[in-house]
Amino acid sequence: MLTKKDINLIKKISFVDFKLRFNSSVLGFFWSLLNPLLMLTVLYVVFSLLMKSPIEHYQLILLLGIISWNFFSVCTMNGMTSILNKASLINKAYFKKEILVIASCLTSFYSFLLNLIIFVFIMLISGVNFHLTNLYFIIPLLLIFCLSLGISFGLSAFYVKFRDLNQIWTVLLQAGFFLAPIIYPISLIPEKYLKFYMLNPLSRIITESRDSLIFHSFPTFLIFLKTLIICISILLIGYILFKIREPYMAEEL
Amino acid sequence: MIQVENITKKFKIPHENRNTVFESLIKMFKPIRYEILNAVDNVSFRIRKGEFIGIIGKNGSGKSTLLKLLAGIIRPDSGKIKINGEIIPFLELGLGFNGELTGKENIYLNGMLLGLTKKEIDSRFLEIISFAELENFIDTKLKKFSTGMHLRLAFSIAIHAKGDIYLIDEAIAVGDEEFKKKCYHVFENFKKQGKTIIFVSHALESIESMCDRAILLENGKIKNFGNPEEIVFEYLNPEV
Repeated sequence: MLTKKDINLIKKISFVDFKLRFNSSVLGFFWSLLNPLLMLTVLYVVFSLLMKSPIEHYQLILLLGIISWNFFSVCTMNGMTSILNKASLINKAYFKKEILVIASCLTSFYSFLLNLIIFVFIMLISGVNFHLTNLYFIIPLLLIFCLSLGISFGLSAFYVKFRDLNQIWTVLLQAGFFLAPIIYPISLIPEKYLKFYMLNPLSRIITESRDSLIFHSFPTFLIFLKTLIICISILLIGYILFKIREPYMAEEL
Repeated sequence: MIQVENITKKFKIPHENRNTVFESLIKMFKPIRYEILNAVDNVSFRIRKGEFIGIIGKNGSGKSTLLKLLAGIIRPDSGKIKINGEIIPFLELGLGFNGELTGKENIYLNGMLLGLTKKEIDSRFLEIISFAELENFIDTKLKKFSTGMHLRLAFSIAIHAKGDIYLIDEAIAVGDEEFKKKCYHVFENFKKQGKTIIFVSHALESIESMCDRAILLENGKIKNFGNPEEIVFEYLNPEV
């Protein structure tokens, strides 16, 4: 288990990395906020032209999808390489290696939180006000972190040994972008496929986020429970894989 | 006290590197041929509290592997390591230093990697910078530091770490003559406080002048363990 010292180290490393990410350019920080907005503009223009009947609050659906997806893909990519990127530390000092993975995921999470602030602004501008159901958003927020962390654990465990894993993961992410409800709402999926579609935890998380923030509704307790179980099991499986591989990592770097 | 009993560490050195999923798939049924290197071979020794131990040996004799085993970075294939006391688990000065961060930020990052808490660094902060003689540069980015300043800062943080056993994989006295004197003074104090230092070095002079005992490693085995002058002599004159 992580001690208080480990947690402080995680905080320190994640803050320092977050700071360093924007250090080299003055506009770096603004670009990270601007990026999802620009992507939103492109996708919005393209898809609102393609769609015959307009979807209510499509710009908000799209923006929340994009920033959630951005977090997931950046977090897992960086999480996967986190051990290798800090090889000098692992080779020269003894500490729990999961610290590096957690810190890397937290660094991505801070950007995600900043992006969410932008989202809230645009939400208010679009005429969607705060509502009590917004409080539920904390659940999908925590779950998307658990999910991304679990996958990062699993990927980083094997990336040390298989250096082309990042190529494979990039392709899978690309497929995932269209398989998860990022650029479309879940209502577009035909009923008969919905069962399989909802096996994807990201579909669940993004849908629940949209419901609580934009459409002001809660999921049922059963749906909440299923999402929770899927995400926590992925986190546990990833962590266990990581722990199995951990003793060999220093030698394989 | 450190007690090492019959530890062995073998490395498998493959003839070809299979580093990707792709390679592993296409060569799935072709076994990998590899050589086995006994990096550390059935080594046993005891080190008492407060001793200064130097480890010498040719390149590839297993010095760094031995230190990594003691620090817990890698695990031995067999044998036991018993350590009483808190080990400061790093082998390199200036661990995690980042040129883009200021001196102050680097002190906190490095200090926390050495196992200090934020409060402990707060209370040692002034001592650290005054020992490193960097009072005026503490908000300067590390990349603007000269090599000497860099080393002084790294060294200064390391000696303020909390623990009884140091493992160091390089020369430990750094900087100009005056700073070196200060370093030796620190080590004398460490000795009085009963701290243990194990260091690997090619600086034979500092091994002779500072160590109580020295270990000579050859091909992963301990060739001799004892008086530093004799060990250094044996290292320099292998045929005698």
